[in-house]
Amino acid sequence: MTLSGRDAYRDELTRLAEADRRILCLEADLGGKNHPFQLKHPERFFNLGIAEAAMVDMAAGLASAGFKPFVSTFAPFAALRAAESLKLTLGYLAAGVTVVAPYSGVSGAWFGTTHHCLEDLAVLRAFPGVVIAAPHGEAETRAVIAAAVASGRPHYVRTGRNAAYESLPWGDPVAWEAAGGELCLVSVGEEGTRLCLEARHRRPGLAHAHLPYVDHEHLAAAAVELERLHARFVVVEEHRAQGGVAEALALLMPTARVAGVNAGTGWPSEGGDHAEVMAALGLDLRAVLAAVDG
Amino acid sequence: MTVELLTERARRARELVVDMAASPRGCHLGGSLSVLDILVAALHRASTGDGTEVVLSKGHAAAGLYAALHASGVIEENPAPVYGQKGHPYTGHPGPKVPGVRFPTGSLGHGVAYAAGWAMARRLDGLPGLGIAVAGDGELQEGLVWETCQVAAAQGLGNFVLVVDRNGGQNDGMVAEISPLPDLGARFASFGFEVSEVDGHDPAALSAVLSPDRAGERRPLAVIAATVKGKGVPPVEGKAASHYVTIDAARAAKWKRLIR
Repeated sequence: MTLSGRDAYRDELTRLAEADRRILCLEADLGGKNHPFQLKHPERFFNLGIAEAAMVDMAAGLASAGFKPFVSTFAPFAALRAAESLKLTLGYLAAGVTVVAPYSGVSGAWFGTTHHCLEDLAVLRAFPGVVIAAPHGEAETRAVIAAAVASGRPHYVRTGRNAAYESLPWGDPVAWEAAGGELCLVSVGEEGTRLCLEARHRRPGLAHAHLPYVDHEHLAAAAVELERLHARFVVVEEHRAQGGVAEALALLMPTARVAGVNAGTGWPSEGGDHAEVMAALGLDLRAVLAAVDG
Repeated sequence: MTVELLTERARRARELVVDMAASPRGCHLGGSLSVLDILVAALHRASTGDGTEVVLSKGHAAAGLYAALHASGVIEENPAPVYGQKGHPYTGHPGPKVPGVRFPTGSLGHGVAYAAGWAMARRLDGLPGLGIAVAGDGELQEGLVWETCQVAAAQGLGNFVLVVDRNGGQNDGMVAEISPLPDLGARFASFGFEVSEVDGHDPAALSAVLSPDRAGERRPLAVIAATVKGKGVPPVEGKAASHYVTIDAARAAKWKRLIR
């Protein structure tokens, strides 16, 4: 059975911690019962309670003493409530701390506005040196977590909630599903990639490049590859237009035509399932195809 | 002997703080002077080499920290002549480019959590050493301080020590008038802390409260240190207006002669 992104994170970290005694798993009361890390390594699992900023700051202290803290809480509480702590810990200190943020975008669906986060990439991309990943599917999430453990660099990893996807073959900075032609779909994150795969089903000839990492360093490298093969791009991401990946790629590829399909400027304030809340923001297959045809 | 050593270090550090107030930048003078004896004692405690880390969470007292680090031998160069100057790390709020400083502080509350994280790391490694945070009393208005106290108590971090420089002042006036802190000791106790109230200008009392290794302790320690803003420099002692001061060289020379 394929695991969701957040479950893949928990499982992979639990597995990696068997060989690496410096890995710690910190939660702010949203890790759920029967967290696999807690079951397997209870002495290195800490539910610090509902205290996101303190959790990130304490992770800085732990990293300073040589530990590898992985902290996790929902994206709005990590990227927005604890934003200053991320600035100092991940940005300025460049501490070897990884923040894993499920519930990114509107994956909380009917949970309401407070539990959505369409701004995290804009916030995190503003902190130089932070590795930002938006993996799609179980295998890619596992690869991102393993790379974070190995690198010692500060990471922010956004995942969705419970959606489980098969990853595309790994590629860094670009995972190419298909190339060729003037236009290329560029997918970011779980739902952006799902929509691009659905669009390719409708338009089988389309090129599709998936980006597992979306920090400036990785996007600059990806832009070189993208520009070499294509001149027009439709970037699909579950994020606002402002501060998103399409905006960044447009700056990195000034001679290319870059269009974005994203969550726009609206506030997700009604119920529905994940896809329905996305569609209410204008982020659905129809929008992707319209951008392709435009 | 220790008391004499710490007294002399604090006297020397006060001179340096006055020098920094006489720099083109000026400095947070009152709070730097109120916290000096605490910092000197805490740095002396850390110099035992058991892994104790001192974090000045009230980072606006950076001048006091730099002076204490120099007087304690952690910083070799005299920071006063280059305080706030281009090409030197002695900024108005401290960061890890300064020798002896691990964490950036000044945005209030964060240093408390950094020190708690350090204490947690020492415990996880089965090693001695305290995580000592030095906070201001005005700083206690920040939610992050209490968020961290909640976590530290819940995690049983008996090697976490939060020293409150209770000088009664804050940027725009007096703590008691802006957002008072009644029953402060009881507040910490209710969070599960041990509480000790000391004279924050008594090196013997400060050394005594900071010296235990607290091995095996499960309750964090709050030290409420009664201090005086501007302490040791009579023209500004006890004056709220001493919060941020810029003076000229002549006045600095006069004030240094008055240090007690």
